[in-house]
Amino acid sequence: MNTQGRILVVDDEMGIREGCRRVLAEEGYDIDLAEDGNAGLRRALEKSYDLVLVDLMMPGIGGLDMIKKIHEIDPEIIMVVITGFATIETAVEATKRGAYDYLPKPFTPETLAVLVKRGLEKRELRLEAQKLHQEREQKLLELAGEKSRLRSIIGCMADGVLVTNLERQLVLWNASAMKMLRLHGTDEPGKPPSHYIKNQPLIESLEKIMDSKDDSVSMISQEIPSDDQKSVLMVQMAPVRDEQGRLLGAVTVLRDITKLKEIDKLKSQFVSMVAHELRSPVAAIEGWLGLLLSGEVEKDEEQKRQWLWRAKERAQSLLALVQDLLEINKIEAGKIALKMESVQVTDILGKIVEFFKPEADKKKISIHIKSSAPLPLLQADVQDMEKLFINLISNAIKYNVEKGSITIETSLDANYAGIHIHDTGIGISRDDLPRIFDDFFRAENGKTDKISGTGLGLTIAKKIVDSHFGRIEVKSELDKGSTFSVYLPCRI
Amino acid sequence: MKAKGKILLVDDDPDFLEMHKAVLENRGYEVFTATSAQEGLGRVRVEMPDLIVLDLMMEKHDAGFSFSKTIKTDPLFRKIPILMVTSVAEATGYRFSFEEDGYWMKTDDFLNKPVPPEVLLETVDKLLQKREK
Repeated sequence: MNTQGRILVVDDEMGIREGCRRVLAEEGYDIDLAEDGNAGLRRALEKSYDLVLVDLMMPGIGGLDMIKKIHEIDPEIIMVVITGFATIETAVEATKRGAYDYLPKPFTPETLAVLVKRGLEKRELRLEAQKLHQEREQKLLELAGEKSRLRSIIGCMADGVLVTNLERQLVLWNASAMKMLRLHGTDEPGKPPSHYIKNQPLIESLEKIMDSKDDSVSMISQEIPSDDQKSVLMVQMAPVRDEQGRLLGAVTVLRDITKLKEIDKLKSQFVSMVAHELRSPVAAIEGWLGLLLSGEVEKDEEQKRQWLWRAKERAQSLLALVQDLLEINKIEAGKIALKMESVQVTDILGKIVEFFKPEADKKKISIHIKSSAPLPLLQADVQDMEKLFINLISNAIKYNVEKGSITIETSLDANYAGIHIHDTGIGISRDDLPRIFDDFFRAENGKTDKISGTGLGLTIAKKIVDSHFGRIEVKSELDKGSTFSVYLPCRI
Repeated sequence: MKAKGKILLVDDDPDFLEMHKAVLENRGYEVFTATSAQEGLGRVRVEMPDLIVLDLMMEKHDAGFSFSKTIKTDPLFRKIPILMVTSVAEATGYRFSFEEDGYWMKTDDFLNKPVPPEVLLETVDKLLQKREK
């Protein structure tokens, strides 16, 4: 029964107190009584009341002071003043101080019951309003938090973001978008996009998205050049709609794909170069076979045999080329997983020199290893080291002269172990020198025509050295010879 | 037997030089060879060939074009038919068509490498006949 309301009656007249209790208890309220202001305040501190009936004139703390003190405890408590001096002034004064209403003495039980009932309803409304107010405050706070969180997230993105509203005004953008599009005048809000964006294709797409009457345009994805033509931007644009599908604006996401484009171009160039290099030997083999099968030439068997040998040589060079391409592929893939172990490079050099001896002997080339500085064990991939020095030593033989020589020396400083392969061959011209590590580059002059090669040997050598964080250097003089120096990192 | 005509082959691939030479000599042509555009131009001046078979892809990738341009703008040599043999089309994914690119290429015909012997002979014969008219 006490759920209807908790009421405190403060009056120094016992008759009034008891009278109020009787009337209100009958209505089902929870009643407490206090005989003066101090007792009333103590009760109000112990228990929360919905309504307080207070006598205006009491010894000690008077009714007007009570209103103030009770409201300090809970401003929403309904205060009803009981007064025997029912003048307009006291009533006005009490209301001014926050009383809800006043009850002039003497009063009937009905008047009391009606007034209390109204007061309690008022209390209910006030509490409801307060709750709503608090909720709204909370919502606003959350919204502000959400907005600033959204701004922070968008601000951190490497991709550019632009949001425009229905009036085609720029309402949200981030630093990346500003940089990519060189947005102008973002400190003057509320202008059309063209005020900020100078990129015509982007503005046209934005118009297209905003003009779409139905759902037909759900997204535009296009590549556009930046204003200075130096970079390429990938643009994704989509309309923003509410739950009913009504257009609210558009969101644009920009990504700088310049680097990707460059890589793509390099890849195409490499593929086209490889295709050409592969095609030449295949075309020559096909040519020889076509010639032999066509019967358009009347030649003796010996001549035909020679042509078959020519075809076979081209097939061999094709095979070597494919092998080298696979090798390059393997090194590039293996950059992630080199099999590093302790390696004595001098031992590897010794084995390779032994292996190439027959070939060197054919050209009467002598090979010396001068271990001028004993090398420590290096951390390296053994197979890669073999490939590296096989390529360099085989070049030193191929591009050497009859009765020439090859000298292999070592050197050591605080950081690097050096291996120097010096030959007395045809050398490399000043013009060709910067290009020798390029894919498929082969020095072309009268002396190299007869030497077969894929043009990838030094590419492979450089890739191996790079993958070991070393460096490769060349010194060369035409007709005198070349020195290839490999420096590999070592920790002594 | 008198030679049917003088043909200059310009190609940086010795295999193609030799196979084309074999086919054309077998048909009774007198054949000279050059492995670069520069050497080829020298040969043209000395030998005055009746026809040139030119490889597009030489030391520099457009050497064939500049070679044919030099010949075709020289009043002395402009009448010499040039047959371009090329492996460019496939390698670059770019197709030449004689109707569209013939003028710019300033050559009289072109064939893709490798050229089957009978096609080479047929084209050479055709170009030389046209020249006599």
